[in-house]
Amino acid sequence: MSKKGKRSGFRKGKMTALDYFIFAVLLVVGFMILIPFWNVIMISFSTQKEYAENPLMLFPRNPTLASYKALFADGSILVGYWNTFKLLIVGLPLSLFLTSSMAYGLSRAKFPGKKIIFFLVLFTMIFNGGIVPLYLVMKSMHLTGTLWSVIFAGSFSAFNMILMMNYFQSLPESLMESARLDGAGEWRIMLTVVLPLAAPIMATITLFYGVAYWNSWYDAMIFLRKADQLPLQNVLRAIIVESSTNASNAASVDSVGKQGFSTGMKMAAVFVTMVPIMCFFPMLQKHFAKGVLTGAIKT
Amino acid sequence: MKSAALEGPGGNGKGRSKLGSLFIEIWKHRMVYTLLLPGLIWLVLFAYLPMGGLSLAFKEYKANLGIWGSPWVGLENFKYVFRDPAFLDSLWRTLYINIVKLVIQFPFPILLALMLNELRMRRAKKWFQTVLTFPHFLSWIIVSGVVINVLAYDGLLNSTLMMFGLPTINFLGSESMFVPMIIFTDIWKSTGWGAIIYLAAISGIDQDQYESAEIDGASRMQQMFRITLPNILPTVTIMFILSVGGLMSSGFDQIFNLANAATKNVSEVLDVYIYRITFQSATDFSFSTAVSLFRSLVNMALLLLADRVAKMMGGDGLFR
Repeated sequence: MSKKGKRSGFRKGKMTALDYFIFAVLLVVGFMILIPFWNVIMISFSTQKEYAENPLMLFPRNPTLASYKALFADGSILVGYWNTFKLLIVGLPLSLFLTSSMAYGLSRAKFPGKKIIFFLVLFTMIFNGGIVPLYLVMKSMHLTGTLWSVIFAGSFSAFNMILMMNYFQSLPESLMESARLDGAGEWRIMLTVVLPLAAPIMATITLFYGVAYWNSWYDAMIFLRKADQLPLQNVLRAIIVESSTNASNAASVDSVGKQGFSTGMKMAAVFVTMVPIMCFFPMLQKHFAKGVLTGAIKT
Repeated sequence: MKSAALEGPGGNGKGRSKLGSLFIEIWKHRMVYTLLLPGLIWLVLFAYLPMGGLSLAFKEYKANLGIWGSPWVGLENFKYVFRDPAFLDSLWRTLYINIVKLVIQFPFPILLALMLNELRMRRAKKWFQTVLTFPHFLSWIIVSGVVINVLAYDGLLNSTLMMFGLPTINFLGSESMFVPMIIFTDIWKSTGWGAIIYLAAISGIDQDQYESAEIDGASRMQQMFRITLPNILPTVTIMFILSVGGLMSSGFDQIFNLANAATKNVSEVLDVYIYRITFQSATDFSFSTAVSLFRSLVNMALLLLADRVAKMMGGDGLFR
């Protein structure tokens, strides 16, 4: 692969039928993604009466914040926000610590046991114990019923570690060598030499873990018992899935007392859960463009 | 220091000096091991201890004795597992849904990547990429909220159908619509992200190939089929292997959140079955561990098999 970059001569020339065809197809697909979200957001801003008359809501005539007021008055979504916030505040630094120290360690030149340890990490990607043993292990450590169980279950991802390791391996060894000659230990080198050079990958991995914590709900559903401990996604699930008339699995923990949510409130709940991802998403997008992921596909 | 002492006799016994140099190497890298320690502790506690807990599949779980103290019963649990019709149903259903998904869904990201790559409007390309990858980063809970809103009997799609005087369709509550609905919504959510991976592979293609093809007068279609596609074939293979490795699982989040009472007869896939027998009906941890051990083993076997087949066919495998 000698030359990369934009195809030369590719942007030259006139637009052909092919170009217009591709553009048209992509435009249709794009609208198929956007319109459902648009519909959700507009319903959340419309009155119950207007939505009942016209479910095909794309532009509400009398926009209102009534659904949001009712949703926040109910309060459960705020509890969910707070719990997810706690998850992120504790979980993110822990995840980054575990992942970056291991990634830096494994990116070092050969040392005894390196292959075995890397295999131990890789193996967790193709085989795992499943939820039951994990639940029993968590229970025996008295972690179930606390947010710690959710934090620990999600605090390390082999995939993210390998991504980071690949990046560290691509850094010039001479920098670390000179720091080593100055008498710096490996931890110091990692903190003062490697991590400052690794800003793009650190940002990417932070966002990956952030999104994973934000979206996690299964562990919380299994490990937590009290409704006031549940993260945002579980609260949202209680509001939209379990309160709908034909919901199944209504017997699970987080279904108590979640009746009487109007469609507008449900859609408002979807929107407030989605907003942070929408804000951080452009940042995520930027890093894909850089091809950070290219190395990760093959491990 | 210990290693220095071992090294002392020097060349007396080959084995000892080898062991000695190993200790020297370990001692030399002691800092590296401290770097690995936190991660290793996590792996032991939350990955390998639960893996050891899979031994429960061969035991009869007694709450007061715990995983490690419960008595061994051999393959007793598996006998009951394979006699449970609900298990067998969920097993076939899982394979059915995932194989249909694999056949129908797999080409979509490749197609999308090729289209995005051919699109010459760079601004528009970036916009499309952003919009199409967005749903991947949302949980299935959020997406099911959106999906239910669009597909419900009074939702966006049915209202549109009604407006044009067409018959409405019960997308969410009918057994025959369930699998198509699952496949369609999964395509909707994940195609954009899948395409990103292929686009990354495309961006690594040697540009000289296109230039010489252009000199030879190859059309864009020809370039697409003769250069772009063959060059991303290794990535296609890897994605295919990974999909095969997930034939027994995947889709829990989606199905759990989109299933309802009306579709409960067609929606219980293996993971939903495991969840139900573990946390909803009479709890028998040994029994459900046996099921999940079976699932994990088959998944791993399928992954390794697909990898082997890919290598035999001359392609790149997952593991070098």
